[in-house]
Amino acid sequence: MAKYNYDKSALRGLGVSAFLGEVKLREQHIAAASDEMPQSIFNANVLAKKLHPAKQFVKVARVIDHGDAKSFVLVPDPARGTEEMAYFRAGQYTSVELSLGSATLWKPYSICSGPVDALKGTYTITVRRSNGGYASEYILNNWTEGTEAVISGPQGDFYYQRLRDAKRVVAMAGGSGITPFHSMACAIADGIEDFDLTILYGNRTRESILLREELDAVAARSNGRVKIVHVLSDEETEGYEHGFITAELIKKYAGDGDYSLFLCGPKAMYAFADAQIAALGLPRRRARKELYGDYGDPARSAAYPAASAEKTYTVTVSIRGETQTVSCRADQTLLSAMEQAGIKAPSRCRSGECGWCHSLLLSGEVFIPAEADGRREADKTFGWIHPCCTYPLSNVALDVPTLL
Amino acid sequence: MAKTKYDVIIVGAGNGGLSAAAYLAKEGKKVLVLEKHNLPGGCATSFRRGRFEFEATLHEMCQMGKGEHQGAVRTLLDGYGLNVDWVSAEEAFRSISTDPDNGFDVTMPVGVQAFIDEMERAVPGSRESITTVLELGRMLTDGVAWLAAHHNEPSPPAKVEMLLKYHDLMKVVPMTTDDMLRRIGVPDKAREIFESYWDYVGVDSTKMSFAVYAFMTYTYLTQKPWMARHRSHEISLAFDKRIREMGGEIWYNTEVKRIDVKDGAVHGVELADGTYIPCGRVISNLMPHVVFDRMVEKAEVPERERKLMNARKLAQSAFTVYLGLDIPYDQLGFKAYDTFVRSTGDTLAQYENAATIDTHKDYCVTIISEAIPDCSPEGTCMVQFAKFYTEDAFADVSAEDYFKVKDAIAEECITHFEKVAGIDLRSHIEEIVVASPVTWARYLGTPQGDVYGYACGTWDGMFPRVQSGHKLDYTIRGLRFCGGHGTQMDGYSQAYLSGAEQARYTLLDMKEGK
Repeated sequence: MAKYNYDKSALRGLGVSAFLGEVKLREQHIAAASDEMPQSIFNANVLAKKLHPAKQFVKVARVIDHGDAKSFVLVPDPARGTEEMAYFRAGQYTSVELSLGSATLWKPYSICSGPVDALKGTYTITVRRSNGGYASEYILNNWTEGTEAVISGPQGDFYYQRLRDAKRVVAMAGGSGITPFHSMACAIADGIEDFDLTILYGNRTRESILLREELDAVAARSNGRVKIVHVLSDEETEGYEHGFITAELIKKYAGDGDYSLFLCGPKAMYAFADAQIAALGLPRRRARKELYGDYGDPARSAAYPAASAEKTYTVTVSIRGETQTVSCRADQTLLSAMEQAGIKAPSRCRSGECGWCHSLLLSGEVFIPAEADGRREADKTFGWIHPCCTYPLSNVALDVPTLL
Repeated sequence: MAKTKYDVIIVGAGNGGLSAAAYLAKEGKKVLVLEKHNLPGGCATSFRRGRFEFEATLHEMCQMGKGEHQGAVRTLLDGYGLNVDWVSAEEAFRSISTDPDNGFDVTMPVGVQAFIDEMERAVPGSRESITTVLELGRMLTDGVAWLAAHHNEPSPPAKVEMLLKYHDLMKVVPMTTDDMLRRIGVPDKAREIFESYWDYVGVDSTKMSFAVYAFMTYTYLTQKPWMARHRSHEISLAFDKRIREMGGEIWYNTEVKRIDVKDGAVHGVELADGTYIPCGRVISNLMPHVVFDRMVEKAEVPERERKLMNARKLAQSAFTVYLGLDIPYDQLGFKAYDTFVRSTGDTLAQYENAATIDTHKDYCVTIISEAIPDCSPEGTCMVQFAKFYTEDAFADVSAEDYFKVKDAIAEECITHFEKVAGIDLRSHIEEIVVASPVTWARYLGTPQGDVYGYACGTWDGMFPRVQSGHKLDYTIRGLRFCGGHGTQMDGYSQAYLSGAEQARYTLLDMKEGK
């Protein structure tokens, strides 16, 4: 039966008894071992929990009034199980859990304070009153010193990565989009990050500049590494740039050589900014955008089927085999319909990106704007969607995971 | 016991758990899969950054094959009815040793003859011995298939057949890879090249069974390495779909807090939200360490389980770097799907160096664009690095230093590889993600961020494990374990096989009323 053509001499002297005794040998090793309960928690496990808590229970320690905005200093609430604030990368956000009537939802806010403050036990988030921003409105009207809140661990990829980004960063900030850059500026001043940051900060008027003194203060202690340039659209004043943040203005402050452009601001700013980025001819890796916030009206997308708006559809939601039915306007995301109906559906970024709301579309037609389609390829094959950026085009049925 | 809706509860939707669930659902059992994350797959997943979708972990799937070379894992997965677009890589591996005296840089093809020819070219005089090694590999592959057909528990008459047909298999199983290759007379350099794959089996060649290693290499050469076109997330979603279609349920974002064990038997599971689900049978995709330390009443952990855990060594934790580059693959200047880069060809030295952050300089580089050219948009490609720590390398890292430590290791890999390959990566990085043992600990929950379960060297290798996986191990009535920490060792293919194996034993338990 010599069907294998190997040199038998290599096996000379080997027997089968060792093989036949392998299980016995293994049992001997087991029998000889300690019967103490071994540990399963190591430093990597402890760090994973510290850096990525699913929830952080916090209290508002202080409120700073900026006129049409407020900053909330959040501290851990040991009574509810949070001993310290998770360390983070400057530019990351946290999602705030809010109960508005019967709706429970999560809204992302960039952490405005620097990572050093997290080590000292605080996060600051800055919330501005904005049109239609019902969550922000709620926070501004209701949060006071002592308010208890639940926030997520640090999230998001909008941070400086020295292996990827240029040593010089030009930031395009609009309105409350200044907050992640304030955090980055703090990180630079505190020696945590090592890059030069020039913030082109667009506002309508001097009056509407948010965190002005805070920005000046951090620039002053940054050893010249953080620069703030105010750009006013509705006001022409000496010492301020006038107009919008154009390609030309970016060039003026970026100077020669390699730089990365970081963008964060209101939605209205993005289309304009995209045109400026294109005019600058920057490679994609040199322009990064923070995307948080609801997509809004699906008709913004050119691909949205005409005559789809104005309708209302039925959404059948199945969670752990229990189904309920909610209604959803055509211009409303499936997530928001669930939230309004009091369903606790998971979400974080609300912009299609993070995948926290990943759910299975069991039936029905939906619209997903291409620029907010953060799904994986196989999700498309198998019918998975991100309800935070998905709009119904018919009655639909969903299988949604419970909240963690 | 309270009345239950489910025949079996599967804790953890990793590769092993999904396979066990599909197996049981296919057999008509009512299964409930509980997964703490919002995605199936465990390690078998992908993630998006910008315009890239990165493969989280899969390098090369083993025992797949196709047509006349169909492997056991393909047969298993096809049997579940998974709809996956499988893609093969056309080379086994590239291996680079930068040892100034005995270094090498070889690209080893698939196909037994091609592999032998290439080895002879790289190491003249190796042909005869490598031919013997691979012929032994062929015999071992047949033997493993024969054993699998007997579910690794041949009956007494079958044992006689085994003794007649596969006595040579029995002779080489207890031999280490190193000892056997030396015995066969494989030249040192050819031996070191041949042993390049060791990183994927978790122990170096002074501890790894020759039989297991030669079998694995032979199947890679004849059946090729495989992956899913849309990353391993595609495999995991295909499982999800089939499990549902076959009547199973999967609950995501559902963490099991406690497995209810009383008087040596399972009675149900308790979820983090307090929900109690009665069920007398649980298959855990989570490691025994995790289950017994965190989820079972201490007094209910049997002495043998405690001893078994202590007798074993936790296997490697992983460190991975994912790069989305704004340069097409054909302009990258380096060609290979999977490359091992090491400072020495000596696998024991590699294993020992891999104990700490400071001493571990080796890594492997996977370029998925080589196997799947359209895996990323035109004008781009994806390159990723992986290294495996053999001890608790992140034991002293603080939260404050964490991001810096992680980026420094990533930078070291990138810079080193740029030098070795003579290419520029740094000016093309559009997206970068760095995952450390902390990241794996976060997603998998394993001790130290362990991704390979238990070190499967010497006394605790695959052969003694599979012979213990039915009646000796897993001593709590109604509780079985599967996954990369299971009897079949680590890796995708092995986790799938282990899930099927333990599902089958569960069926037998049910029949026998155990």
